[in-house]
Amino acid sequence: MSAAGKIALIVVVAALAALAWMLKRSDVYLMTLCCVYLMATMGLNLTVGYAGQMSLGQAAFFGIGAYIAAILMKFGWPFFVVLPVAAIACFAIGLALGFPALRVQHHYLAFATLGFNVLVFLVMRNEEKITGGTFGISNIPRPSVLGMSTDGHIAFFYFTLASLLVLGALLWYLLRSPWGRAFAALRDNPIRAESLGVNITAYTLLAFAIGAACAGIGGVYYASLVEFIEPGPFHFSTSLMMLLAVIVGGSGRFFGPVVGTIIIILLPEALRASNVEWLKFMQKWYLVFFGVAVVALMVWLPGGILSIADRWKKAPGGTK
Amino acid sequence: MTPFLEVKDVKKQYGAIKAVDGVTFNVGPGEIVGVIGPNGSGKTTLFNSILGQIKPTSGHVAFCGEDITGMSPLELSRRGVGRTFQTLQVFGKMSVRDNLIAAAQEFKGTLGARLFAAPDAGLGQHADQMIEMFRLKHVAHLDAGNLSYGQQKLIDIAMAFMPAPRLVLLDEPCAGVNPSLVDQLHELLVELNKVQGGSFVVIEHNMDFIMKLCPHVICMVEGRVLAEGPPQAVQSNRQVLEAYLGN
Repeated sequence: MSAAGKIALIVVVAALAALAWMLKRSDVYLMTLCCVYLMATMGLNLTVGYAGQMSLGQAAFFGIGAYIAAILMKFGWPFFVVLPVAAIACFAIGLALGFPALRVQHHYLAFATLGFNVLVFLVMRNEEKITGGTFGISNIPRPSVLGMSTDGHIAFFYFTLASLLVLGALLWYLLRSPWGRAFAALRDNPIRAESLGVNITAYTLLAFAIGAACAGIGGVYYASLVEFIEPGPFHFSTSLMMLLAVIVGGSGRFFGPVVGTIIIILLPEALRASNVEWLKFMQKWYLVFFGVAVVALMVWLPGGILSIADRWKKAPGGTK
Repeated sequence: MTPFLEVKDVKKQYGAIKAVDGVTFNVGPGEIVGVIGPNGSGKTTLFNSILGQIKPTSGHVAFCGEDITGMSPLELSRRGVGRTFQTLQVFGKMSVRDNLIAAAQEFKGTLGARLFAAPDAGLGQHADQMIEMFRLKHVAHLDAGNLSYGQQKLIDIAMAFMPAPRLVLLDEPCAGVNPSLVDQLHELLVELNKVQGGSFVVIEHNMDFIMKLCPHVICMVEGRVLAEGPPQAVQSNRQVLEAYLGN
């Protein structure tokens, strides 16, 4: 990352931290929810955008992480033990889900992963003794960090934001290591990659497993944020929403899911809650506007919002 | 003496069609062998059978005395066998430099060690040398997919040589390439053969190129070896002329 990029990131994080004191509780909740979903969508971006493996099962891992957190924390396990347990469990299940990707690709793989999501959703809904079924699990505690409680909405936002930055830094490092290049080789041309010694079996499985672990971590934070979980948020429609966030922002671009997740989570709410006079009609029409905006974006910017810069560079008269 | 690459009675059949029908030939250390033949004569199928892209119906392939018949491309790459493909096969969304590093990084250390290795896997200098050699310096930081066909062809070939393989099979390196680039490719392959000391097997339709580059040429027709020997002898062989020009 360039020096200007680092400064911009620090400014944005500082602005977010300051903004939390000025916003309503519900707005801080939305910002925290955005951070939580970002953990999952950044992982999905690695699987889909960098390694080129289609996945419609990210919400399942998000849910597995959330349920592991809810169940274990109810038994009194501390948050910082539950977090690696959920990440490792999702990593292992993600490895297993990667196996179909060794046999099928594209829409076939999409349906295989979607089937996995449906299966996990049904387990969450029907295995009442473990998951609480449709009644869910309530009173999930929030952690204490270095003796400080994160029960308050601002404290939990800071904690989630800091955790997101750590996860983001780890993914940044990973994608800039030779692994990142191997993932890109797998995405761009698996046949050539294999002839150049890239172990496509290992990297395919790793792409799924790391993406799943990120979603599992996001799920743990989600459980602590909402303090009550039931199967609804882990339906495959959430997987579609996460995939949409990755594509809208810019698949295979590090900050693509950041832009996409903010748009998917915050834009509908911003439109709905808008008090600006000429935007008031949006309070009733925000979902229609949102749908039309997504369709338009897919037609004119299939590379996502962050591809605008590339388009501008390629345009006659643009910078080269 | 054990040949470097030994191809023995390799056959590949698709139903009733014999794409490769009992091909036998050897390649010595540092040797450059050319494979010619009309379209559909089984050259690429032979390459794919040797390189594990498809499994031969019967026959044996040995490399440095080891039976490599049916081995996967991954296992072959680990043994120092590289290739180029008939069509362009670069990593389009990576820079030229990253393409070259990607071509060799998997041979450096273990999978786990590569996670903690430097971003260029210690190959930056070597990649820059190859970029210099292939005259790609002015486009080194551009995405390979945005470059011209000729430039991508050079990247494609440079990638195959990046890990310094002991044996490289090149499938039509001159296809769709302008005459000045053909000369450049000839120079590069001669130099790489001298510097890296590997053996090459080259499929090509450009007769001038193959006759200049290869001291030993094999001509395939309908899946079989029709003639082999020094280029002049193969070129003047009556059956070879008939196969190319008709009776």
